[in-house]
Formats: sequence, C-alpha cells, structure tokens
Amino acid sequence: MMRTSIIRDLVILLVIFGFIWGIISLFPVFPEKVELVSIEREQELGETYLEAILKNSDFEEVTSEEMTNAVEAIGLRLENALEGSEYDYRYLVVDDKMINAFTLPGGNIIVTTGLIEFCGSPEELAGVMAHEMGHVEMRHVVSRLVKELGIAILTSGDQFVMGEVTRIITSTGFDRKQEQSADLFACELLEDAGIEPRTLATFFRKLRDDQDNELLEKFEIVSTHPNFTHRIREVLEYVPDENFEEIPMEIEWEEVKGQLPEGRVSK
Amino acid sequence: MEYHPLPQPDEIPVREREDAMGAYFMMFATAALGLPLPIINMIAAIIYYFVNKSKGRFVQFHTLQSLYSQIPVTLLNIGLVVWVITNLVKEYDFTEVFWGYLVMTAVANLIYLIFSVVGAVKARKGLFYYFLFFGKLSYAQVYRVRVGDGEQQRENKPPKM
Ligand SMILES: [Zn+2]
Repeated sequence: MMRTSIIRDLVILLVIFGFIWGIISLFPVFPEKVELVSIEREQELGETYLEAILKNSDFEEVTSEEMTNAVEAIGLRLENALEGSEYDYRYLVVDDKMINAFTLPGGNIIVTTGLIEFCGSPEELAGVMAHEMGHVEMRHVVSRLVKELGIAILTSGDQFVMGEVTRIITSTGFDRKQEQSADLFACELLEDAGIEPRTLATFFRKLRDDQDNELLEKFEIVSTHPNFTHRIREVLEYVPDENFEEIPMEIEWEEVKGQLPEGRVSK
Repeated sequence: MEYHPLPQPDEIPVREREDAMGAYFMMFATAALGLPLPIINMIAAIIYYFVNKSKGRFVQFHTLQSLYSQIPVTLLNIGLVVWVITNLVKEYDFTEVFWGYLVMTAVANLIYLIFSVVGAVKARKGLFYYFLFFGKLSYAQVYRVRVGDGEQQRENKPPKM
C-alpha cells in the first residue's frame, strides 16, 4: 500500500513537470516569428523592397541583354535543379563596382557587375547564386529582417522602415551558422544542377586571397565571418555522388564580361 | 509492512530538531554554491547525510527527504547547464523545447526552495513534514522495521529445537 502510494506521488510529479515542459514547448512564449510571414506575403514584400531599393539607392539595372541573359540562364539552371521551391526567383544585375550579391525577400537576387567581373567563370557566379538561394529557401532573409526590425515593421511600407530594410539587405550579413547551411545548400544544389560544387571552394579561395580588397567590403558572403579556411575545407569535404557528371555552361563568359560598362573591363 | 512508531514533538530533543532543520538549509546553501557545477552540492549533501544518519530517525528522515528532493533538482540543473553550453559552443538554436525545459527547471528549483524552507521550520518545531513522493519515500526507508534492527536483536528467544 505504501508502495502504490509512493508510485502515485511519483506519477503526479512527473505529470506536473512534464506538463510544464510540454506546454511551453508546444505553445512557445517566444514564437518563431518568421513563421508568421507567409511565403506569399514575403513575395509581396520583396516586390516593394525591390522597387524601393532601385529607386532610393545608386543602383541602376544593367541594360546589357547579354549580361542579364547570362545571369538568368545560370539562375534557371539552378532553379530547375531545385525541387519543390515555393519561390518565384528573379535575378537582377545592377551596375556597381562593389563585389556584391544580395537577396531580398521573396527570392529576388541581385548581383553587381563588380561580382560578375570578379567571377572567373559562370560556374563561380552559379556558386554565389546557389548560396543566396540557400538563404532564400531557408528563409534567412526574412528572419534577419524580423529579428532586426520586428514583425510589425516588416508588414508596413513606411519610408524610414524602407531605409532600414535597404541598409540591412545591402550591407549586413547572416550569422555563421546560416552561412554554413547556405554553403552546404549551395553544394547540393550545384551538384544537382550539374555544376562541380567545389567550384565554390575555388571562389572562396579567391576571396580569401583578396580579403583586403575594398570592393569586397559589403559582400555578405565575406562580411560576418570571413573564416574562409574553414569554409573552403567544408566545401571541399562535400563529395559529389560518383555518378555526378558536369554539364558545362553554354556561356561565353569573357564576352559577358565584355559587356561591363566602360572602363571597368576585366583585368 | 511494519513501521517504527513516530516520536511526538515533545519527545524530540532540541539538538535533533536543529540537526534536522540544518539539513534543509545546508542543502540549499550548497545548491546555490554549486550552481555553476551542480554536482558539488550533491556531494556535500551526501556527506551531510552520512554524517547525520546516526543521530536518530527523526534527523535521518529529514536529511534523507532533503537529499532525495535535491537529486532531481540537481539533475535538472546539470541538464540545463549542459544544454546551454552545448548550444553556445555548437551554435545551436535555443528551441521551444529548451525554453520549456528552462521554465520547468526554474519551477522545480522554486518549489524545492519553498518546500525546503517549510520543511526546515517544521523540523525545528519537532514536526514531520512530508514532501510529495520524497516524504513517503524517506519515511518508508527510515521508519520501516527491518530484520536486524536493534529492537529485534535484543529480543531473547529460546533455543531452536
Ligand atoms: Zn551568405
């Protein structure tokens, strides 16, 4: 009888504490706020931000069709390898000598002419774009905005908010963990798209060797944790499937680069 | 199952009451000290138990109850420390499950503290006070009449034929 009574007490204790743990886990006090922004809403926000950024910054869309087509083609190749994405991707090339690529909510990826110039091959650019797509698919872009500006601000189109949004998107980076997962995502996507994933390592090595380059200052891949040695190693550790076959990009890269605005033709 | 009779308050000497009360205070004093490394207070608690064990059943009951109730709280605290360090080192997210655990651990510590204070006050008055589960467990362990307990050993029996 004593024993049953003791066991009953134990069960009561376990139920009470299990209940506390469970209830907080299921009904979070600190909700994962990014969940509150639906993909549709994110796409709408992306549109608005894109307009605002193009209007308020010095960025100007590049007119060269050869260049936009090339970027578009790389994007499409990656998209085709991407399964079950809920995003409509859109690629933009802006004329800026800074080496930069950034991602707006809703899958709007912007690359600068500076980046195109810096990339030695279309595959390298594909690596950067795949990395950016990783940030999109894993919703890093929205979570960063929500984290810094809060959910309410994100849904309003206020002018000052826009300024902040632009600043965050164009100049601040993600955290190291997000970078790592975007790198891994990029490797997988590149492989599926028939692009050698280790091209990304080549690209990172170039970034590492050129770390003091002022033009790299705003590049999100570089900005937060430029621990390239580690990242290069991680990418190199990614071994593609043995059946992996590289499908070359049908892009005349030197010609594309030749479309760069005057005076900034590749060295 | 047989149990030894419980002593009444006026039968318990002040000395024993104080030792019993000390068990509760001593344990959460070390619990606070052991916060960065909660294992320290467990060791202190166990030593305290073995030192005071022989001071009569009343002292032993309270000490044991305090020790037992401290074990799960300490384990929860260790879990919390390990979880936080792991998250920081490996840069894992602090998930909802973690926050749930944190709240649960905080509640456990709070309840442990409150019950210990009440237990200490009661012990000082020479009273028994049973925590849920731990009270019964300690009572059963300390007061159950075991074969080989003093009283039985001193009983004279005729030779076995
Ligand atoms: Zn990144």
